[in-house]
Amino acid sequence: MVTEVRFGSDELTVARGETVTLATGMYDVNGNAVQGAVAIIMAQAGVSPRFAPIEGASVDLTGQQPGAGMLTAIVMVPLDQGSVRGTAGARQVGQIPVTVLDYPAASIDIAEPDYMLYTGTSLQMAGTIMTTQGDAHATAQIIWTSSDPSVAMVTGSGILTSMSAGNATLTAATEGGVSVDYPVMVATNPVTSISMSPSSTSTRRGDVVEFDIVATDANGNAVTDIALDLAVSGLEGTGGFVYSDGTFVAEETGAYRVIASTGSASAAAVVEVTPRPEPQTVELLDHGARSEVSTSDLWVFEGADGEDYAYTGTHAQGGGQRMFVWNVTDPTNIALLDSVVVDARVVNDVKVSDDASWAIITREGASTRRNGIVVLDLADPAHPTIMAELTDSLTGGIHNVWIMGETVYAVNNGTSAMHIIDMSDPANPKHAGRFEIKEGDTNKSLHDVWAEDGYAYLSYWNDGLVIVDVGAGTHGGSAHNPVFVSAIKYPEGNTHVAWRTRDYVFLGDEIGTSDGMRGFIHVVDVSDIDNPRQVAKYDLPEAGAHNVWIEDDVLYIAYYQGGLRIVDVSGTLRGDLYRQGRELGFYRTEAAEGEGLAANSANAWGPQPFTGNLFVSDMTSGLWVVKHARPRPIT
Amino acid sequence: MTKRLLLAAGLALTSPVAAQSHPSYWAYVANESSDIVSLVRFDGTEVVEEKAITVGPHPADIDGAHGIAVSPTGTHWYVSIAHGQPYGQVWQMETGTDRFVDSAYVGLFPATMSMTPDGSSLFVVNFNLHGDHLPSSVSAVFTPMMSEITQIETCVMPHGSRVSRDGTRHYSTCMMSDQLVESSVQGMDVQRRMMLTGGKEHVMAADHDMGGMAMGGEICKPTWVLLSPDDTRIYVPCNGRGDVLEIDAESMEVLRRFPTGAGPYNLDITPDGQKLVVTLKGAQSVAIFDLETGEETRIATSQPVTHGVAITPDGRFAFVSNESVGATRGTVDIIDIAAGAVVASTPLHFQPGGLAMWKMEGGE
Repeated sequence: MVTEVRFGSDELTVARGETVTLATGMYDVNGNAVQGAVAIIMAQAGVSPRFAPIEGASVDLTGQQPGAGMLTAIVMVPLDQGSVRGTAGARQVGQIPVTVLDYPAASIDIAEPDYMLYTGTSLQMAGTIMTTQGDAHATAQIIWTSSDPSVAMVTGSGILTSMSAGNATLTAATEGGVSVDYPVMVATNPVTSISMSPSSTSTRRGDVVEFDIVATDANGNAVTDIALDLAVSGLEGTGGFVYSDGTFVAEETGAYRVIASTGSASAAAVVEVTPRPEPQTVELLDHGARSEVSTSDLWVFEGADGEDYAYTGTHAQGGGQRMFVWNVTDPTNIALLDSVVVDARVVNDVKVSDDASWAIITREGASTRRNGIVVLDLADPAHPTIMAELTDSLTGGIHNVWIMGETVYAVNNGTSAMHIIDMSDPANPKHAGRFEIKEGDTNKSLHDVWAEDGYAYLSYWNDGLVIVDVGAGTHGGSAHNPVFVSAIKYPEGNTHVAWRTRDYVFLGDEIGTSDGMRGFIHVVDVSDIDNPRQVAKYDLPEAGAHNVWIEDDVLYIAYYQGGLRIVDVSGTLRGDLYRQGRELGFYRTEAAEGEGLAANSANAWGPQPFTGNLFVSDMTSGLWVVKHARPRPIT
Repeated sequence: MTKRLLLAAGLALTSPVAAQSHPSYWAYVANESSDIVSLVRFDGTEVVEEKAITVGPHPADIDGAHGIAVSPTGTHWYVSIAHGQPYGQVWQMETGTDRFVDSAYVGLFPATMSMTPDGSSLFVVNFNLHGDHLPSSVSAVFTPMMSEITQIETCVMPHGSRVSRDGTRHYSTCMMSDQLVESSVQGMDVQRRMMLTGGKEHVMAADHDMGGMAMGGEICKPTWVLLSPDDTRIYVPCNGRGDVLEIDAESMEVLRRFPTGAGPYNLDITPDGQKLVVTLKGAQSVAIFDLETGEETRIATSQPVTHGVAITPDGRFAFVSNESVGATRGTVDIIDIAAGAVVASTPLHFQPGGLAMWKMEGGE
């Protein structure tokens, strides 16, 4: 019986693309070689095969992905050699570490610096090591040196300081001996003076001040190709930041000196930072408690009869098979009128068409396992009726939809694709197309879609935000034929929801932890729609972000345990909006004893401002109507 | 005086049970739309939910606890977490404490599981129930490390998973390819396939097309696979056609067909190989077949969408899960196999499905 698998070495290092033969041997408890046994190699490293039966004295392994892992041998014990309980089984009997190296480095591409090299200035050199296969090396690092540090001094990591006028040669090299020379010329710093004028010398916490910084030479000519040093020092406060584009923002009140310098020239300006207005009271108008079932999404609208309605979905706890109908015309006295029951265990999403003539509710957990969407006729919005359903190709459940005119974009749990549904005849919804990233690759997860002004914003979980043209006229897309525009992702992943206002897209993470929900709001600048970049965040530390809504530069976030959060997102956005005190108010959607699934425990799901009031659905307590004392920010 | 009388009455009520010294049977049931695994106990008279164990990684969404398996030694139980972002998982839990031990990522919508007799390898079918109709796989998980060893590509929408008693072969079926697939546990590769379409049943090579159905016959749409205690017979319910096939394990020829009516779904067999219990998902009932005579006994269940079945080690009772519909809680029914009747039932949570026996204790 095999008790040990020995490998030909204590560790294995293999290059990407290289195949090595690893000797193996199987031995019994006395150290005698065992013939006829079958071992299995299980590679938790970037080698192929990940799994290989070995019957002989060796196994061939090929490096695939650079990195480190383990190689484990499992022996499948044959019946005739006995095993646990006399049957075939498997045991782990050998393990060695494996390192997969990338293809050899072949060349280094140096990126041109953005600025001229003037004495007394510093900048970061950058380059990419290319492999023999022409792609970027996964692990190798560039080590920088200079032929003449008295002219151009460079750190090993590439921070270049121009010391004196003259010529020098920088060398970028790898440990493996690949190198490239990069000649540089340092010119005498022509700047003799710097002027800087802030857009304002007094601002509030979180409001961005933009500096107009002009460096000039002795002749009064502007020098625009120089990398100026920017710094900020707190005179009476901490938490000030200045960015390379000359913008300043402070998290705390106080006086801050912003300094621009190069060589012997410098300029400074002081900015006084004052408090933002204190958060204002959020007043409860009414609470429509649900204590038998958890509440999911909501939609508030004016119905065809002129009355105001809120529709709320239901989630799994208690059995999510209903959409509730509320009359909210009097927000201080909302009334539950009716409900629509479908075969589901989660009605996650509720959306109403622009003309309020039809609505869609999504289904998950249908007993028939044919989920899809249900279309409601809102001729009588107080008592909506089921008009149609669409389940073909949507059986896996629809988590979320967005209505754009006569088109519905649906998130299909089964395919992780955005399915496009033609609703020109709401009684006969028809499939009109499909969009997905990584076509044919199952390694993706779509969670949410939101669309406006010809772009759809897809929250693609660990693939981040994906923007597609659905009729913007910029990339050739149309409502039924989306065209990829750009994408951005971040290390936290779990991109759950998106909403755009002005040139910013607000992305919410949804991260479940042992301490409850976590995740925050990422603010992405899409002024260049082809190159989105993250510029700010709103991070409430003790809770997790869920759905959002933005109106009139106010961000409303249902923040699970944090309840409803109201945030001023006016003006230019940089830094951490939470630490900047941009919160305008909050309301903890906590039910009293006996009024919800759980008392004194907020679990806010979705917000919606409507006719000056705020509606919030909460998983554990139902529908809330509140009023913010100052709903619009002072800009 | 009053107190003494009440005590006497209590003794009178309990003494017959004590005289029978009935064993207790323990089972785990996965409630798919509640992300709860129920530990239930049947004492011969009453079935109760002893514990509700929350599972799944995501507190806000349904993770879809689907399949259940208990290790042969009874030390661990495993639950497949069907929904993933994107891939599903198998969780390893400790019996008794019901604490989380470890997990492994597998494929899309992992469903039914079974283990080798030594408990070292677990095979879970990647059902990919709602994805595009592409060939899927069976994941082999090495449980001491909770690592997926490999994915054995089988066919479209694999469901049902059973390892032979001798631990050498694994069987699964594919609903949308109409196939029975036999894989080698040692080699972890497909050895044989059998087309199950009515009138077209035949053995196919391991490398036969994994995608298409046979044309022109009556589709079987298999949802489960079960081996007789001596590994000589394979039983497959044809959910789409309404019968159960008895197949010779060596030749892969159909020996008998048992008409069942609407929607046969899961199966179990008594340890003596005499009684086959079939859940009828579409008929809110269970069929018990006497495998010697072929005689059927039909038993109505307490709720519709009858799903899982597991027979107690002594062969006396069958635990049956009923999903029910929407916000109506599902149930677990206890069926006395000899009597052909439901003898106990209790509500659980939403959509109870996967079911596995843990232990039988006590009794004479």
